[in-house]
Amino acid sequence: MMQKKICMLGGFAVGKTSLVRRFVTNVFSDHYQTTIGVTVEKKCVTVDNRELTLILWDLYGEDEFQHVRESYLRGSSGYILVMDGTRRATLDTALVLQQTVVKAVGAVPFVSIINKSDLRSDWEIDEAAIEQLRERGWTVLIGSAKLGQGVEELFGRLATQMMSPSPPPGMCP
Amino acid sequence: MTSPLRHSDPSDHSLFNHVLSALDIVVFEYDENSGTFQLQGAPPGWWTQCFGPERDASLDLHRCSPFLRDYLADPHPVWEGQSDRLEKSGPWTESDRQGGTMTLEASLLSIGSRKLVLIERLGLDFEDMRSIVQRARERMLAEDRTAKVHRTTQTRLIGQLEASERTKDDALALLQHLGITALVLDERRHVTFATDRALALLGIESSTVVGQAWERVLPFQEHDCQLVQHLLAGASHTGSGGPFCLDGARPKWVEVDIHRDPRHPDRRIIVLHDRTEVQTLRQALTEQASFYDLVGKSPAMLRVYQLVRDVAQVDTTVLIEGETGTGKELIARAIHSSSGRKHKPFIAANCAGLTDSILTSQLFGHKRGAFTGAVNDQEGLFEAAEGGTLFLDEIGDIPPNVQTALLRVLQEKEITRLGEAKPRKVNVRVVAATHHNLSEDVVRGSFRADLLYRIRIARIHLPAIRERREDIPLLAQAFLSQVCTATRKTVDRLAPETLRRLMSYPWPGNVRELRSAIEFSVISCKGNEVLPADLPPEIVESQVQASPSVVIQLVDRDEKSRLLAALSDAKGNRTEAAKRLGVSRATFYRRLVELDIHPQ
Repeated sequence: MMQKKICMLGGFAVGKTSLVRRFVTNVFSDHYQTTIGVTVEKKCVTVDNRELTLILWDLYGEDEFQHVRESYLRGSSGYILVMDGTRRATLDTALVLQQTVVKAVGAVPFVSIINKSDLRSDWEIDEAAIEQLRERGWTVLIGSAKLGQGVEELFGRLATQMMSPSPPPGMCP
Repeated sequence: MTSPLRHSDPSDHSLFNHVLSALDIVVFEYDENSGTFQLQGAPPGWWTQCFGPERDASLDLHRCSPFLRDYLADPHPVWEGQSDRLEKSGPWTESDRQGGTMTLEASLLSIGSRKLVLIERLGLDFEDMRSIVQRARERMLAEDRTAKVHRTTQTRLIGQLEASERTKDDALALLQHLGITALVLDERRHVTFATDRALALLGIESSTVVGQAWERVLPFQEHDCQLVQHLLAGASHTGSGGPFCLDGARPKWVEVDIHRDPRHPDRRIIVLHDRTEVQTLRQALTEQASFYDLVGKSPAMLRVYQLVRDVAQVDTTVLIEGETGTGKELIARAIHSSSGRKHKPFIAANCAGLTDSILTSQLFGHKRGAFTGAVNDQEGLFEAAEGGTLFLDEIGDIPPNVQTALLRVLQEKEITRLGEAKPRKVNVRVVAATHHNLSEDVVRGSFRADLLYRIRIARIHLPAIRERREDIPLLAQAFLSQVCTATRKTVDRLAPETLRRLMSYPWPGNVRELRSAIEFSVISCKGNEVLPADLPPEIVESQVQASPSVVIQLVDRDEKSRLLAALSDAKGNRTEAAKRLGVSRATFYRRLVELDIHPQ
């Protein structure tokens, strides 16, 4: 069975682990437990009648305490950039991380998600900022690990892009 | 399991396992020929717990996390001899066979040509580090939330402030546009805002108003100030009062509305309504109806008021002419009160019926021993009236000698006390009055012509009441109010028939007689309306006449009978009889002579 390595990237506490858990085990916890190092999960999906095992590398959050090692990114077939809609700064972190990935592994498919749509009234990332990301060629989804919104689509869209023979929109640097 | 680091000494083998056990790590050596990782020494228990018992001495990478597999598959400088330092993989999480997880970390090193992998389970130190990072991140998130709340609050407050400023600007624009004369006071009753209209009314600049206590901005008189203070302290939402006079070079009259500031119950809004014009007109109307203590708005009286104002502006001697009881002394007092001498004495002297010496002594004073009974030095009325006004009533009745002395006083502005030789300077304005026709007296030789011309520089003729009958209701009502106040009786009005009788009565005693009649009526009145029966008998019994000319024809006959009746009632006492008729003693005497009455 085909396997694809996917890295979960984003600032700390944006909900990377929560998205993976919601996707793999359909579980969500409000309790924030910071990730130190790497946790690898697997999930089989079907894309265009082809079975595919996603190897989900849930990396620790990027901040001043921990910076993503380029070695962790090697071998990635795609990646997911996670942002927290309630914190504008996580968008800036995502922009930096995206450049880091391109530098480490080149233009591989990726999808971004602005998490915590359940707190939409508290969002600092506005429509104008989202539009600017899309103008960069990013695939930007809006979802909530807590509510399960947009999670299947997030991984499904990336899986599709990774299996697509032609370069998907999210591959542009 | 291979022997540790290819040493053959059993004791070394044992020592190596002890070291591994103490360090709690598992060691593999990379065999480049087979591409496998060979276990060195005895693995710790957690390794077995995680990956199961080793079936052979090599590492089965398929049973491990993809993390370790990928990591070991990567090129490593430390194995290429490019670095002699320990290379660490960083932590990763492995699931154990019991459903739990453990965090591991691999270290790579080279010893000579041998490539070793050391895997350790991260324990308490790692958990401490995780806990620290966790707390630090939670703190950052909390601070981020706090900052966000502050930003949100700040944004909201700025928005509210901007909205408030806009509302304030709109309200101010509206206030200014509407031309409302308003002051806003804070809790300490200091002015925080004044509209342009208010500034214009007060004739001051905004900068001199804001921050000032309201009493300093609104210069009300003391009593009015207290009333406004009372309104400001009131518990009701609105209050009003006035008109109040704002002192100044050009006094303004305002009515005051006090409103609570709906947003701050302790603050007040004062709205001023300029009533200066209304008040001026009202005063003019009031002055037309009354002037000082004079009542009447007939054209004749209005002319008198104007004359009084005119003569008050100058310091000349004034002669007031009029029948008895017309109010000559009131005119004299009005002149005095309207003049620049108003703060000095006003002395009234009746010259009628006094002997030469007594009148001289009264007017000019005397020295002790000047005549029998002059036991002390005594200043005269001229000296007593120093700086003020001396009113000489019935001046036509003064003896010739006194006329001479008076003439000298008026010319020289000095008096000489009886018994003294040295004159004294006096500064007195003389206002004289008489019911005589002094010109005729001059012709008859009873009054000095030069004195007449000296005292008649200005003259005011007071009309008899019969010459201004339209003033009778006004006079009657004024006297009714005064008498009711004095007697504490409640009589509201005069019956129409009563007023009709008052209007037709000839009033030989003029206003004085009218007042006495009203006083009599109030005493007699049993209800709250004066009926004709309450009037004095001579009025009740007089016939109501439509034509004033007929009345005049009847005057003498009626008056003679009235005088006789009064004398009879007073048992011949002329003073008492005059009092009962409401006329002065001098008038009473004069009328007796004129009507040829010779009382016994």
